[in-house]
Amino acid sequence: MKFTKMKKIDTEKLISCPYCEAVNIDEGKSIYCRRCKTKITNTQESNFHTAWAMVITAMIFYIIANIYPILIFDKFGHPNGNTIIGGVIALWEEGEYPIAVIIFTASVFIPLLKFILIIYILINYKKPQKGSKKIDQAKLYHFTELIGPWSMIDVFVVAILVGVVHVHSIQIKAGIGATAFVLMVFFTMLSTLSIDVRLLKESKDAA
Amino acid sequence: MEDLDHLIICRHCQTLQKKVTLKENEVAKCSECGEILYKNASMVFHKTLALSIAALILFILINIFPIMEVIIAGQKNELTILQMVSRLFNEGFIVVGSIVVVILFIAPLMLLLFFIIIGILSHFKVGKNIVRKLLILVVALRNWVMLDVFFISILVALVKLFGYAKIIFDVSFYALIFFVALDIFTLKNIKPIELWNYYFEVYENEKN
Repeated sequence: MKFTKMKKIDTEKLISCPYCEAVNIDEGKSIYCRRCKTKITNTQESNFHTAWAMVITAMIFYIIANIYPILIFDKFGHPNGNTIIGGVIALWEEGEYPIAVIIFTASVFIPLLKFILIIYILINYKKPQKGSKKIDQAKLYHFTELIGPWSMIDVFVVAILVGVVHVHSIQIKAGIGATAFVLMVFFTMLSTLSIDVRLLKESKDAA
Repeated sequence: MEDLDHLIICRHCQTLQKKVTLKENEVAKCSECGEILYKNASMVFHKTLALSIAALILFILINIFPIMEVIIAGQKNELTILQMVSRLFNEGFIVVGSIVVVILFIAPLMLLLFFIIIGILSHFKVGKNIVRKLLILVVALRNWVMLDVFFISILVALVKLFGYAKIIFDVSFYALIFFVALDIFTLKNIKPIELWNYYFEVYENEKN
């Protein structure tokens, strides 16, 4: 079933509550949602800066996560560090092509894609590029939200291996890279969450 | 103010549109981007209550029994989520350990308990303020439940282990499959606005 689009006149001052999606009238700087009584902040500047700060923090952790080993194999007392890329290459050489592709996508490709998409959305919010449509941006945003959790795969794999492989001759330990990686995922998710979807409306109006 | 209840702003593309009344099994879609706005969601709290109780039973199973047993060089190790986390803590990986325990244990448990509390309170039409606060938490918590990602991670870890370990799947592995299916096809499919519309229907006696 389709809807009829409303006329523009009385719609300018309506905003939806980010918590319960009730339609509210935007009366000033800070209003309380009439349904869930949560404060709806209208100071979109602060959200914008939070998102930038989070995504830059995440990028720094991404670099650290790629330099230091994420997993340490300790065979007969000889520790052997494994970085993310190193692990992917090792899997590829062993002929585990599907797993190598999954790990590469989840740990290398998806984080990079998320950084690019978040930065694109944030730049577009200030200076809308020519021909950028509100709907395309909304779709990009929700795509970013959707793929986010999947970069956790490598962290869980490390956690499982650390939990399971625990014998005298062979030991698997987590590396500094794992800490940096989990913080990277955490800050990227926070960055995505602090982007106000209602900002996307602004970019269209300004364009 | 009542007029505002007949309006809806698409959460994907922010297009303002009028609500329509739906019959059984009908779905309202956005006129601009085609995203599903809401479904006919009468009794949605009863649905989430039933699903959450089922999911909670599976969740308890997952955490009591090991997911799998791994035998390396004659030594047997069992994998459970909490044992996995305690190993991480013992090795000093407090950041990784805490984020993993929040995502795999605390967030799903809280989400299910909140849905159960909401379901019970709304059935007796009491505790309006508690339900309102829990609903806000429920919507925020849903982003942090990643047991489906964890399931894929188990499969990836298996491939790495196959070379030098014998693996026996345990009860929890199958419980996890059902939990993920339940989570993906039901709880994640319920839109926040359906929950809020029903909350409004129960506590403010206004039909949209």
